Amino acid sequence: MSTGQVILATLVVLLGAGGSYLLLPHRHGATRSRNVHAAGAVLVSLGLLGFLTFWSPPSPFLAGLFFYLFSIGALVGGLLTVTSRNPIYSALWFASVVLSTAGLFLLAGAQFLAAGTVIVYAGAIIVTFLFVIMLAQMEGKALYDRAARAPASATFTCFLLFWCLLYILGPLHPQQAPETSEGHAQQFAEKSLVRGRNLADFYRLPENHPGRAVLAHSQRPTSALRDASGAEKPDVAGLGEALYSDHLVTVELAGTLLFVALIAAVAITGPKRPVRPGEPAGDAALKT
Amino acid sequence: MIDVFTLDLLRNYLLAGAALFILGMLGFLSRRNLIVMFLSAEMMLQGTALTLVAFGRYHGNLTGQVFTIVILTVAACEASIALALIVILYNQRSSLDVTLWQDIREEGVPATPQMQEEAEAEPIEPVPGPESYPILTPAGIEPAHPVQPWLERRK
Repeated sequence: MSTGQVILATLVVLLGAGGSYLLLPHRHGATRSRNVHAAGAVLVSLGLLGFLTFWSPPSPFLAGLFFYLFSIGALVGGLLTVTSRNPIYSALWFASVVLSTAGLFLLAGAQFLAAGTVIVYAGAIIVTFLFVIMLAQMEGKALYDRAARAPASATFTCFLLFWCLLYILGPLHPQQAPETSEGHAQQFAEKSLVRGRNLADFYRLPENHPGRAVLAHSQRPTSALRDASGAEKPDVAGLGEALYSDHLVTVELAGTLLFVALIAAVAITGPKRPVRPGEPAGDAALKT
Repeated sequence: MIDVFTLDLLRNYLLAGAALFILGMLGFLSRRNLIVMFLSAEMMLQGTALTLVAFGRYHGNLTGQVFTIVILTVAACEASIALALIVILYNQRSSLDVTLWQDIREEGVPATPQMQEEAEAEPIEPVPGPESYPILTPAGIEPAHPVQPWLERRK
């Protein structure tokens, strides 16, 4: 990573951290004036603009446009989910995050997941809405909605992690395989992230090398995006093939997990037997 | 065979996923409302799912999408149990504030230094507004008086 990029990453992280600290609720619930909020919004948008320069625009114009639309929508929605004082608004902005993520899934060629995410999270958000209406106080009047818990250290921790991720992801660039020793090949493979199916060619493994057998075993044709002739499989059909051939145990485990969670939720919230006069109360009754 | 999903494209998705994860983490660490904390945790899962799908597309297999389906399952389980816990906690203290639960300890266990610091800290000044009004027993009919919503009192 060049020095300029490191400086840019630090600047982006500092702007984002300062802006989100100003947008988060105050530590003791003190009201912040509109000017402070505006300053926070300006800092965050500057940081977001700087963050955009880390992205490389996707090649077809329309795909690039939609990628920027969805990812900026997800990030802005995420920030507003975190900083909204009213939990209803948080749930609404989270819905925008889910929709944008579904759009990004579509762009990455995962149609089934895009539909599944929207359907699953629509239900989750409606349930959250019910809970907010049942339990929370409206209009952001509650003190715990207007006060944050240690916002400065939380912002510091999160944006330190963000800087580290930027530092790792920044130097990822496609590079040609060098004609040099093994050690160099390792370095280049890490920087240019060789695709799974090219690994054997990249390291120039001989035909009888045991690594080749392991690689061939790990890249099953049932899980590949393309079939033997090189044509792309339909998404849902390919996903079904992968799920029910290579990941059958995973499907069974996921079903078991759902069943266990169902039992747990019922056991946690189950109504308690009322204490009648003349009976020992609470824990004493359980022990006998 | 040239793949249209290049490394640069993968990097875009990874950066977007990382930013979503960070925002969710920020909300989970700093907000005090249990419901908002739950939403932030879901947002962290979204960031991870985005990363997995992009990696799967880059390597040309469907394993990333299968992982994301497992994440959806775990998120559904987590949502049901988290909301059940929120109901239980709300019934005990009548509040969604998570800081009410930070001093859970058994009787006889000494307080941690951090809790002693908090006990010695300056009392928080009450915010002028409806929360700081004294609570009186209502008597008679409420007279007509101008009510200024809290949101409009901010300059």
